[in-house]
Amino acid sequence: MFVVTGASKGLGKAICTRLIENNVQVLGLARDTSNLSFESINCDVSSADEVRSVAKLIRKQKYNVEAVINAAGIASMNLALTTPSAVAEKIVQTNLLGTIYCCQHFAPFLIRNKKGTIINFSTIAVSLGLKGESIYAASKAGVEGFSRAFAREMSDFNISVNCIAPGPIKTDLIRGVSEKKISKVISNQIFQKQFMPDDICDLVEMLVGDSAQTLSGQVFHVGGV
Amino acid sequence: MYDLKEVEERVFKEIQNVSEDKKTIITKKTPLIGGESESIIDSVDLVDMCLSLEDFAVELGFEFDWTSEKAMSATNSIFKDAGSLSKEFIRQWKEN
Repeated sequence: MFVVTGASKGLGKAICTRLIENNVQVLGLARDTSNLSFESINCDVSSADEVRSVAKLIRKQKYNVEAVINAAGIASMNLALTTPSAVAEKIVQTNLLGTIYCCQHFAPFLIRNKKGTIINFSTIAVSLGLKGESIYAASKAGVEGFSRAFAREMSDFNISVNCIAPGPIKTDLIRGVSEKKISKVISNQIFQKQFMPDDICDLVEMLVGDSAQTLSGQVFHVGGV
Repeated sequence: MYDLKEVEERVFKEIQNVSEDKKTIITKKTPLIGGESESIIDSVDLVDMCLSLEDFAVELGFEFDWTSEKAMSATNSIFKDAGSLSKEFIRQWKEN
């Protein structure tokens, strides 16, 4: 079974759909799972207690967790100076701490198998230092740093930990961002085109495959930077 | 059924199983991690030991939570020494 957070929309949902097409058993986590047609549990990853409860349930159900994909995330395109502290806290709580909580509570399932894959999500905004995304970029830079160190901690258990750092993928997350801004970001990529959720799914497929088990502690920039 | 002494001994045995020197006599004061004295197990072994204790807890009919705030606490960590770990394990067993 693969545990996928942020399963109700955007990249998380696309990843779940692709995995299910490939006959992988998926457990989707999201704040609201009412619209999901696959196995799912309501879980706000920014709450350590909620993540812990899901881990307890997985243990109780004796699910064999093989991979954890932390796709849950929120964004706020705003200048740091004009971002309310509550919003800044929510971004860090969800993007960074949510990823950490899920790794803390779900990694023991992989450790039992002495095998597994964890994929966390960063963003191109980290490497480009995008204006108007400083808090979002800070939270994701934290995810990258955490992932690199956690990869070392997990290596003894034959578990790989990597980050995917997409550019502006066509999902709800960037709805409302102007075409001009998207084009500007894309112009900084090596491949100057807007990638689709399917491109991220291809990379996820590669990283969870047996042939990628030597890759760990890496940040994969879709489109290249 | 196990009594308190047997449960404590089993916790100590699980610690001994992952300790670097298998001949180490485990007592309540044996340091695990994060203390001032030298720890007898590394972090990898600690995780393995916790998974073994999870299995033992299932045998006893409860769920051992080693990822709680208390477990992570720097000052009152359940991983301070063998005594604190067995005490917490027994506390969770009795609570359930």
